Amino acid sequence: MALAPAAAARVARNAGIYGLLVVAIVLATIFVPGFASPTNLANVVTQSAALGCVAIGQTFVVAAGLIDLSVGQLLGLTVVLTCALTDGRGDLLLPVSIGMVALGAAVGSLHAALVNKLRIEPLILTFGSLSVLQGAIFSYTDRSVGRAPEALRWLANERLLDWPVAGLLLVALGVIAHGLLRHTRFGLRLLATGDDPESTRRAGVNVARVRWGAFVLSGVGAALGGLLVAGRLGTGYPNAGQGFELDAIVAAVLGGTSLAGGRASIAGTIGAVLVLGVIANVLNLLEVSAFVQTLAKGVIVVGAILATRAEQRGGATVAGTTAVPAAQA
Amino acid sequence: MHDGALELPAASTRRAARADRLRDALARWAILIVLALLYVVAIALSDAFLEPAYVGNILRQAAPVGIAAIGTTLVMILGGVDLSIGAIISFSAVFCAVSMGGEAGNAGFAVAATLVVAAAFGAVNGALVLLGPGSSFILTLGSALALYGGTQLYSGGTARGIVSPGFREFFNHRIGEVLPVLALSMLALAAAMELVLRTTRFGRQIYLIGSNREAARLAGVPVAGVTFACYVISGLFAGLGGIAVLARSGVSSTFTGRGFEFDALAAIVLGGTVFSGGRGTVVGTVAGTLVLFIAFNLVNIVGLNYNLQLVLKGAIIIAASAAYAWLGRDR
Repeated sequence: MALAPAAAARVARNAGIYGLLVVAIVLATIFVPGFASPTNLANVVTQSAALGCVAIGQTFVVAAGLIDLSVGQLLGLTVVLTCALTDGRGDLLLPVSIGMVALGAAVGSLHAALVNKLRIEPLILTFGSLSVLQGAIFSYTDRSVGRAPEALRWLANERLLDWPVAGLLLVALGVIAHGLLRHTRFGLRLLATGDDPESTRRAGVNVARVRWGAFVLSGVGAALGGLLVAGRLGTGYPNAGQGFELDAIVAAVLGGTSLAGGRASIAGTIGAVLVLGVIANVLNLLEVSAFVQTLAKGVIVVGAILATRAEQRGGATVAGTTAVPAAQA
Repeated sequence: MHDGALELPAASTRRAARADRLRDALARWAILIVLALLYVVAIALSDAFLEPAYVGNILRQAAPVGIAAIGTTLVMILGGVDLSIGAIISFSAVFCAVSMGGEAGNAGFAVAATLVVAAAFGAVNGALVLLGPGSSFILTLGSALALYGGTQLYSGGTARGIVSPGFREFFNHRIGEVLPVLALSMLALAAAMELVLRTTRFGRQIYLIGSNREAARLAGVPVAGVTFACYVISGLFAGLGGIAVLARSGVSSTFTGRGFEFDALAAIVLGGTVFSGGRGTVVGTVAGTLVLFIAFNLVNIVGLNYNLQLVLKGAIIIAASAAYAWLGRDR
């Protein structure tokens, strides 16, 4: 019973981002020829799926009061390794995929260990590892390598009974992530840790383990996103992950996750990923230059933040407060 | 005996207090210790680091990021963050070069106009942060994207504008054959800002707001005004950083400043400013910047290729912040 108002508020917040999605789709359908065709709509979903995976992982990290800037380059490393290691061989796809997920989990574990033991600022730590991973990718190769197996291309690009497979995978991942966040002890502890790490620790929660879980989920999300990007590109392009980290943070925040920690919504994150996908698709269809697309993305981020947060004015939030609270292990 | 029993706890308390003070001092100057250690390592690996001209050169390289980081330090002490400085640096470099148009007579006007525009962009950030009760992280990330797009449109995606003759020569001139004007500018700006933070009412108000915004407001500090001013200063210094980039390279490309915002953040945090606000110094920020640039030079000198430099850059950022956190633990 006590949770009902919180849940209602959550639904209201999600209504904002899904309202924006509906408005964007309606406007695009009316004004942009070709947008509403089933093929194009499936494309929007297919192209959004990789960012969706990364953004879901980022949602957990941000909800725990942390941040992970390394996910873009981790995704890039996954793309390169997947294509290089399988080189088109379908029989290797499963072991390599498992290996990539393990790699993501390992990178996440390392981040968690450094934050927990050494109390490095997560933002600076993961910016450092962004650089390390980028250097590792380009030391390995500076051009596209390998080939994605046929099965992976199918997963990333094709449709199953008219539904984009990548979209179905994203929905499945979203359902699992939502369950983890809302219906497990881990999710409860994660949100509590993000809200107030000190009190949560005093209440007997192993905060270090919660942070470990969050970083591992972020690494795994990046690895899954990398597998989808590998399937979409079909080859191991070393720059594939560039910019995913900021897009993922933007999606999480637009979806109602608080950068101060303690509040998150998986459904909101997915809604925001789709909004970003629709806008990018519309600008592409209108043949707007990449420059204007960057400009538009920035304006939309600022505008959406101002609009979706307008109803919270006068509340406890303080202008200019820090985005990333200090890690107090 | 009675005296001795009383004496003992007093002495141990005093010793504990001394240990606390020592740890405090260590924590406060951790970055200077890291800087000194790194410098010793650098000398051990290459004699070049003993040459004053080479050190002057490192200072000159560090100037764009260092100068921009000085302004952003204020925002960080306030408890906010400014991710738009990389975009402002990029835009300022292009705008300044275009305004100069290769004419010597335009240099003064171009620099002044660039600073006005950069400060105006900082003002937009300040207004956004005050109006939007979201976090400055996401708002300045958004404004950075918008400005990157705007810069690309403005420049057409390529290098544009020609610097005035004499502009580069002036900033790269070595005073006494050692210290480039650009390096001196960074040190002078840092000293001036440190003075502002330590001696003026404005400086104290920034720390007050960073420590406890609500208490500062109740104490009559003009919170909105000071916050706004800090973002304007952050934009202004990013503009100075853009001019410094232009002075160093002479070429304004669209992406000159891309990634500088995170280099600056790394420098600021290494320098002892905390994300939660209320603590930090400009001296620390400049020392943090030097740690990064000595490290980059070291990697160069050892002869590693660019990709391994990236790996080491990341490793050094992580190691330095780990060392910093270790020295400053239990605070």
